[in-house]
Amino acid sequence: MNHLLKQIYNRLLSGSYRSIRTKLLFCFLIVTIIPLLSLGALSYYQSAKVINSQFGKYGENAVAQLEQQTSSYLNRMSQTTETIYSYLLDPARVDLGDQIPTSYKDIMDKNDFEVLLKALKQDRTMGIYIITRSGYYYGENNLDVSKLSLIPAWPVMKNSYSEKYWLGFYPQNHGMEDTIENGISVLGLAVSVNNPYGALRGSKILIEENAEDLLHMFQLFENDTKAHLKIDDPQGRVIYETAATFNSKESDIVWNKTIEVNGWSIEARLPATSFYHSSSIIRSNTIIVAIASCLLAFVLAYLFSSRFTVRIRRLKDAMQKVRFGKLHTMTQVDAKDELGSLDTSFNNMVSGIQSLIGEVERSERLKKEAELRAFHYQINPHLLFNTLNSIQWKARLQGAEDIRQMLYHLTMVLEGNLDISQELIPIERELRMMEHFLKIQEIRYGPMFEFELECDEQLKCYLIPRMTLQPLFENIFFHGFEDGKGVIHLSVRETGNHLLLTLSDNGAGISAEKLKLLFLPNMTKRKGRGGLGVQNADQKFKLHFGLQYGLTVQSIQGEGTRIIMEWPKKEENLNGNNKDD
Amino acid sequence: MKKKISLVVLTTAMSMMLLTACTGNNESANGTTQPVNGNGSTKVKTLRFATWDTGDALKIEQDIAKKFETNHPGTKIQVEAYADGFDQKLAAGFGATNPPDVMYMWDFPTYHQSLEPLNSYADGDKDLNKDDFYSGLFNYATIENSLYGIPAGFTTRVVYYNKKMFDDSKIPYPKDGWTWDDFQDISKQLTDKAKKQYGFGVRAENDTYDLQGFVWSNGSSLISDDGKTINGYMNSSETASAIQMFGDMVKNGSAVLAGGKGQQSGEDIFKGGKIAMWESGIWPLESFKQAGIDVGVVEMPAFPGKPVKGVVAESALSIAKDSKNKDLAWEFIKYYVSNEAIKMRVADLPVRVSVVKELKKDQDPLYKPFYTMLQRSDNTPAFLLNTKWNEINRQLSAAVESVVHGGNAQDTLNQTVKESERYLK
Repeated sequence: MNHLLKQIYNRLLSGSYRSIRTKLLFCFLIVTIIPLLSLGALSYYQSAKVINSQFGKYGENAVAQLEQQTSSYLNRMSQTTETIYSYLLDPARVDLGDQIPTSYKDIMDKNDFEVLLKALKQDRTMGIYIITRSGYYYGENNLDVSKLSLIPAWPVMKNSYSEKYWLGFYPQNHGMEDTIENGISVLGLAVSVNNPYGALRGSKILIEENAEDLLHMFQLFENDTKAHLKIDDPQGRVIYETAATFNSKESDIVWNKTIEVNGWSIEARLPATSFYHSSSIIRSNTIIVAIASCLLAFVLAYLFSSRFTVRIRRLKDAMQKVRFGKLHTMTQVDAKDELGSLDTSFNNMVSGIQSLIGEVERSERLKKEAELRAFHYQINPHLLFNTLNSIQWKARLQGAEDIRQMLYHLTMVLEGNLDISQELIPIERELRMMEHFLKIQEIRYGPMFEFELECDEQLKCYLIPRMTLQPLFENIFFHGFEDGKGVIHLSVRETGNHLLLTLSDNGAGISAEKLKLLFLPNMTKRKGRGGLGVQNADQKFKLHFGLQYGLTVQSIQGEGTRIIMEWPKKEENLNGNNKDD
Repeated sequence: MKKKISLVVLTTAMSMMLLTACTGNNESANGTTQPVNGNGSTKVKTLRFATWDTGDALKIEQDIAKKFETNHPGTKIQVEAYADGFDQKLAAGFGATNPPDVMYMWDFPTYHQSLEPLNSYADGDKDLNKDDFYSGLFNYATIENSLYGIPAGFTTRVVYYNKKMFDDSKIPYPKDGWTWDDFQDISKQLTDKAKKQYGFGVRAENDTYDLQGFVWSNGSSLISDDGKTINGYMNSSETASAIQMFGDMVKNGSAVLAGGKGQQSGEDIFKGGKIAMWESGIWPLESFKQAGIDVGVVEMPAFPGKPVKGVVAESALSIAKDSKNKDLAWEFIKYYVSNEAIKMRVADLPVRVSVVKELKKDQDPLYKPFYTMLQRSDNTPAFLLNTKWNEINRQLSAAVESVVHGGNAQDTLNQTVKESERYLK
């Protein structure tokens, strides 16, 4: 792993050598990561926005619901006390007194009143009492008046002038058998009976409702939203507050509601951090996912690019091998893509080079063979020419003009033949040599044959391999004509940048079987002289101008032979160096 | 191509994670929906059983219900404890034709029209064995020859006394056959106002039903036997003097008012050792024992020269006319009054003779007076004689309350009779 990291580090940061893989990796990462990150950021901002607004609405609704619930309690209690109050205002109730009723009629009144109180009781009502100034009370018999001061707000209320006094939440522990510890939570309302008319002036109506459900709702709200709930009455007394300590801050999210019945204000405060808690969860999730995706992208990019560059590297290695001469190197073709076709064409190229080199080698070898052969046959030209000149001189002395003529022409032909300093000579020179050769033949056979030459003067300066025509002419005289009788036609034309030389005769022709064997190198050797001239000439063209050039032989037995040769135009260099390369 | 694929994979993977992150909260909010119990209810028969009991008595009833469920697979007994709101809720149930199948019942004159007559079920049912019940118990549940309830428990009324307080004052324990004069004397002797200790406790608000025993013992009654006249009965001098006696005891200080406003209940004062004698049914006996009071039980005192009469408070089980599972309800009632279930219920006196014999309850000095009083209970309670008794009772209760608070019994009862007679027409 460390090794790998180090390698990556080197690859990435080494300035001098940046492999294609590294570049690919970078491109790849950029292409992947930019959309990834922007997508992640976008989705985070969108969802955080939605969630925040939804949570805000949820909180508002929840507080509104608390307000609804609480005010339904308060309304019910308020209405109950109003019912009792109006009952007491009825002049018929004026007999209800502060003291323990003892007379039959008083007891009946008390019973009637208590029946009403019982009827006003609902499921949640924990107690309805009317406590008179004397301490006697109406309502169920379970109240211990002396314990009423246990209600936290009870003593405070005595100093209050308002008729309705909301006692808030407290445990109901003022029953006969209750102890201070126990008691379920109730919501209390005390109403002072101050009306100058009606019964029980100065009494207090106390109504208590079971508030466990309500408090449970508060708790649910607190647990749900983690908000700090606080209920104040208009005088600033705290009616309810979440138990956990809380430091309010400016940044807190605050939901407010005021209960209409008694002006209690419900305030739920949520620290900003809690409010944005869910969106921060989303943020961290997004970041984690983005990082994971980046890592994944990096790994994938690394794998892919290395897979990709491995092929290029392989190709590069193969090229290196070829450079060092291993021409049998072949790369493996993996797939039919651009790299695959690159591999294929590389392979083609190598095999092309291979065959080309083979060709060069072969032609080089032939050339050497020819040179060797030339060495072999080389005769000291001076000795030959001196001897021939001596013979020529002797012939003149003896008056044998014919022989002297023949020797002269032979000398000229040999001179051309033996001058091996130039392999390519102008056509003009070759033609001149042919004239000498023909002169020899004319002296030999007499004026038996005709020679027709068709060649523009301008073409005569182009080069032709030395000693090309002479063997062919020899062939015509030795194989084609009988006793030198016949017509020889030689024409030189140009076609484009090629020269086309046609040599035709009306001699014996060559049989079809022999024609087939004419260019097969091995066969001709065995047959001796016949055909050697044709093959030599062909080889010369091929050596000097390329394999596609050479000569073709058309022949019909008994009618004559036509030899056509074609080669590119080439002029003699000005400096006289016309050696082929 | 590969590059694209990997991008698509990554983006989808990421958006999936985001989506799940968003929906996570919803699931937790909605995920806990309760499975709908539609199929189960068709297979399991549910029987609703309403009781007025609370606390230990309720717990025993729930245990009995559970035993019945195990004996009858596929049955569910839903015990509904109405407590104080029993009458209200029962009336509401009958009104809405959605009453409990089986319910505790005592006020047959009021409710019998909503109850299933049980004669056809009870007669000849060997499991029930009507003859094993104490005779007379069925009378309370019979209206116009139709039986509407099977007695489940009953109590008569006796006098409890605190043996320790008697011992401290060196007063012999009261014995059966004692008189109200004895009773008042003992009360006076046991009263020590300095210690806030009294001989007897008088309820501030009495149930007139319980007072009938005293009235009958004094040779009178609250209403004529034909149920048509109260004048001369409810306000007879015998009735008045029986009630006046309690008012006088409060007045002269040998008794204390209990259970009124700001007052402890009589049971609590007795348990606190501050009253020596308390008159009640079987219900508080267990709690007295648990409070560590060495309690004695004696039958009611007699008025001189007159036989002691008792009053039976009976609870019975009834089946609602609108019940859809009457057969099952009947099975449940039979189990509820079987020996097995009766033995589980200690807050009531056993209704079956065989159980009493087996447990030797009639030999136990703490229980024997209840059975003696049962033998003395042959008068018919007023509520069975007149269907309007509930209205009259309201006036009478006020009158009694007035008397114990110092009113004159004769005058008050006269006034009550005058005002109540309109209900008889």
